[in-house]
Amino acid sequence: MTLEADCPLKMYEEHHDLADYQSGVPRWCSGCGDNAILTAMQRLCRDHNLRPEKTAFISGIGCSSRLPHYMRAYGFHSIHGRALPVAEGVKMARPDLDVFVVTGDGDCCSIGSAHWIHALRYNMNLTVVLHDNHVYGLTKKQASPTSPRGLKSNTTPRGAYLEALNPLTVTLGVQNVSFVAQAVDWIPETLYDILDAAFRHRGLSFVRVIQRCSEFLPKLFDPWLRDPQKVQLLTHEGALKPSAGLAAVYKNQLDHDPADMNRAREIASLEDPIPVGILYRNPDVPCYEDLRLSDKVRNAETIRAGLEAEFDRFTVWPGGKRTQRGRAQGGNADDANGSDG
Amino acid sequence: MQTMRMEATVDVQAVDPPVFYATGKQPAGAAPARLWPAALAPYRDLANLRFDFPLILTSGKAGAPVISLSDAVNAVLQEIAPPGRDGETLRRTVLRIERAVRKRAAGGAKGTLSEMWAAAAANLEEAARSEAQKAWAALGLDGTVLDCHQGTAAILMAHLWSAAQNEKARQFLATAAKLSAALSGILRADYLRSAEGRSPQSLQAAMGGALQSLFDFSEMSALLPKATARDALPESRRRRLAWALAVLEQQRFFAVPGKAHAPANEPYGFRFDNCGEALAAYRARLPELTELVKAMAVAELEIDGAYNEGRHDAYFSGFDAGSLRAEDRARFPDYLLVLGDESEPFDNTGVLAVLSSGIPLKIVLNVGDLATGDDPAALGVRSTDIATLAAALGNVFVLQSAGSNLYALHERLSRGLAFAGPALFSVYAPPATAHLPAYLAAAAAMQSRAFPAFTYDPGAGSDLASRFSLENNPQPEADWTTSVLEYADGDLQRVRQEVAFTFVDFLACDPRQLHHFAVAPAGYDRLAPAAEAIGVPSRSAVPFVAVSDADNRLARLIADERAVDAARRCLEKWHRLQELGGVHNSHAERLLERERKAWEERAPQASAAEAAPPSAPVAVAEAPVTEAPAEVERAPGDAFIETPRCSSCNECTQINSRMFAYNGDKQAYIADVKAGSFAQLVEAAENCQIGIIHPGKPVNLAESGLEALIERAGPFQ
Ligand SMILES: Cc1ncc(C[n+]2csc(CCOP(=O)(O)OP(=O)(O)O)c2C)c(N)n1
Ligand code: SF4
Repeated sequence: MTLEADCPLKMYEEHHDLADYQSGVPRWCSGCGDNAILTAMQRLCRDHNLRPEKTAFISGIGCSSRLPHYMRAYGFHSIHGRALPVAEGVKMARPDLDVFVVTGDGDCCSIGSAHWIHALRYNMNLTVVLHDNHVYGLTKKQASPTSPRGLKSNTTPRGAYLEALNPLTVTLGVQNVSFVAQAVDWIPETLYDILDAAFRHRGLSFVRVIQRCSEFLPKLFDPWLRDPQKVQLLTHEGALKPSAGLAAVYKNQLDHDPADMNRAREIASLEDPIPVGILYRNPDVPCYEDLRLSDKVRNAETIRAGLEAEFDRFTVWPGGKRTQRGRAQGGNADDANGSDG
Repeated sequence: MQTMRMEATVDVQAVDPPVFYATGKQPAGAAPARLWPAALAPYRDLANLRFDFPLILTSGKAGAPVISLSDAVNAVLQEIAPPGRDGETLRRTVLRIERAVRKRAAGGAKGTLSEMWAAAAANLEEAARSEAQKAWAALGLDGTVLDCHQGTAAILMAHLWSAAQNEKARQFLATAAKLSAALSGILRADYLRSAEGRSPQSLQAAMGGALQSLFDFSEMSALLPKATARDALPESRRRRLAWALAVLEQQRFFAVPGKAHAPANEPYGFRFDNCGEALAAYRARLPELTELVKAMAVAELEIDGAYNEGRHDAYFSGFDAGSLRAEDRARFPDYLLVLGDESEPFDNTGVLAVLSSGIPLKIVLNVGDLATGDDPAALGVRSTDIATLAAALGNVFVLQSAGSNLYALHERLSRGLAFAGPALFSVYAPPATAHLPAYLAAAAAMQSRAFPAFTYDPGAGSDLASRFSLENNPQPEADWTTSVLEYADGDLQRVRQEVAFTFVDFLACDPRQLHHFAVAPAGYDRLAPAAEAIGVPSRSAVPFVAVSDADNRLARLIADERAVDAARRCLEKWHRLQELGGVHNSHAERLLERERKAWEERAPQASAAEAAPPSAPVAVAEAPVTEAPAEVERAPGDAFIETPRCSSCNECTQINSRMFAYNGDKQAYIADVKAGSFAQLVEAAENCQIGIIHPGKPVNLAESGLEALIERAGPFQ
């Protein structure tokens, strides 16, 4: 008996509503765009009927990284900049879990940038959401790599000296990138649709959400909020299809095929209007966890045997002779693991 | 091909044809001897021809489990021999080896391809040996060489069956190992957290030998927090996990490589040569199989964290053999029964009884002889009927074929073995006779419709057209197969003539049936080819078949009436099979006839109608499908929020959580406009960064400062 969808035992599956994914009252300021992302996440979990005990939210440090506290699921509020490697470890050990990564522009694009690049290249099946409020919120208005040039902040009192880093163009430049999208927190419908597409994509899906910080940059996005023409919806058959109501408000639309990398890179460079939609999607990039999939069973005995074999290679025996086995085995720890030694 | 000569006489005593036809009585010494049906004459030198045999039963894990020697050689030549003259010597060497291996196999040699290849290569001259070596290296496969003989079907099927069972074992053991590891992981984690797991003794045992004295394990144990009762596995769950683990580890359906078994716990065998024993074994093991399936289902649920006692306990307590689904059974080994060797004659009713029981038995009927006694009327009846009867059972995979054709059908054989249910493989594999090699004797049976090939595959679809196939029979549309015979006549002129290979010709291949034949007297010309006589009985001409003798001289054998009667019965059966296979299907033909008549009657009116101008197609106007935003009924002046655009930012709900509330998608709407003041409404509209709150007109006209508020509300209306 296998427990696939058609199995009678699975008919007992539980259904969840939004409240089943809510936990605690967010400590975010009112007006903060993180609220919109949280709501979209909870809707996504509900609509996919994700089992809370099979879902993990991994974050770094920052206001945005508090999100796992507010999701009733497994969470790991990890260390600054290290959400991605932690999530990769979780996914590697438990490929059966749905793993989400929550990170901020400081967390991801500053201290965590090395992990960011390599996570893209590993292309593990993770849904990564970058809450990009263009500022370090938690540390009270310090400039982040995505802060606009000239932004006066606690760390740049004379205005930020450098051009902002564009997370989209960076991402699209990394080998093996397989899904890149951009959303804005103030259009909940597309935010949800993009997260949904990201979740369905097998591979690392990177979603940058332009997010308002009502406390430190309350006016930054006002021009875009006021003028829907300053948002360009990327539509395409099989990608994003706005509802009639939304299309009536956001008339500035561009048909873009997410399979087209060159076009995606051009669109990624646009700052005004802000492109919103799926820029790039390639379902054929292999996932690292699949490439490394092993049918070796790891239990106490095989792990012990693997470790013994590994230690044997370095054992110095009284009388000075090393084991033959150690020498013959060469240096491949992978092979020693899980084999009989 | 050698040219045969037409001889007026073959040296035997003459008979009176019409009398012989009617009585079947031969004068002493008139029986013909060592004659070949003329149609088979081109294949006399079989070992020098390239054909489907011998086969190689490959032992490797990758690739098909069987390949013919010729296919393997063709593949390797394609790969290593350059086209044209450059590759010519290499091709010749390899084909020489192929021929040598074929001869060895035909001569009864047994062994693997590597042995036979090496032996053949050793006989080559020095220069060719390195080419043989090169080809061998490129071949990349090895296995037992199997020629076509009486035991071929049994050996081939056992091999394919083993390959299928090995694959099942691989899959099952991988799943079982994963489940066991996960179950023991849960139990171990529970133990490690328990008071016992954190006791000084257990901590000490976990630390390697030499270092044990360095630590104070009592102190360490005191430091470690003990699991609370809430964290520990509930006893019922622990018992369930332990039970599932034990069932998995004690299973006897698959041998675990490297695991020692107590004699009472040996893995089960699944090969039988007797229906009763196979059935009894299946039944005796069924409770254990059911328990194992149940344990695996419980384990999967437990590992997934989805076992819910309230729901699943009841389901599993009632779990019995009836709960097993076809997929569950299909994970376990199939039973293989090889029947019909001389040692073990089979009885049709027994075979049909086990087949209809629906259990996964794969039965191979090795039919070595179509005759029962010397009565041609009984020929083939028993052995061909069982396959057609089994097909009528409906849910049994049935394949009937001559042994000569097994390679062409090997994918179907594997399909039958993979079918999740019973299967019958009825194979005619006669021994070689002084007359014919085994391959030709089998091929003759198929060629003459004495033992046609067919497959009934219940897994191929739901109707007969998808399930029943006559594929692989030569000329399936025809009554008899025909070929062109070339010979030189009395004046040594080349003559080409089409001859049919009928059931009467097939009888003439069997030395035991030769008393139904007599050599036609020289000059006697009131003869008709057997195919004609079978179709239209006639007293004016005597049926004959064309044969050739050891010197390749062509002659005519006249047949007696009993042989012709047997051929008619054979043809009758072939027609039934054709109908099942959709060839000359009487229902379809009648329907076609009826439709044709109806069409002809309608035809004059139809042509008149055609002359009239065709009516214009009616355009069906389709309403444009637009998704209108759900409009809530609202009077002008009512306050409202464009809810679908709300970003859940809490601004408004924090101003007044009774006036502003979230819906099921956590998007704000005005829940109760009277729950707050117009001032709050306006403040919310101002604070909403997306600007989707529309305050409308105040409901409480007594509210103070309304005038200013209405003005502030202006931009948001
Ligand atoms: C190693 C380390 N360095 C610095 C900090 C201080 N720190 C906390 S949050 C943060 C920036 C967070 O910015 P972002 O990721 O944009 O999150 P936001 O608060 O804006 O959502 C910094 C620098 C830290 N916690 N750890
Ligand atoms: S203020 Fe606007 S965006 Fe925020 S919750 Fe209320 S209606 Fe939604």
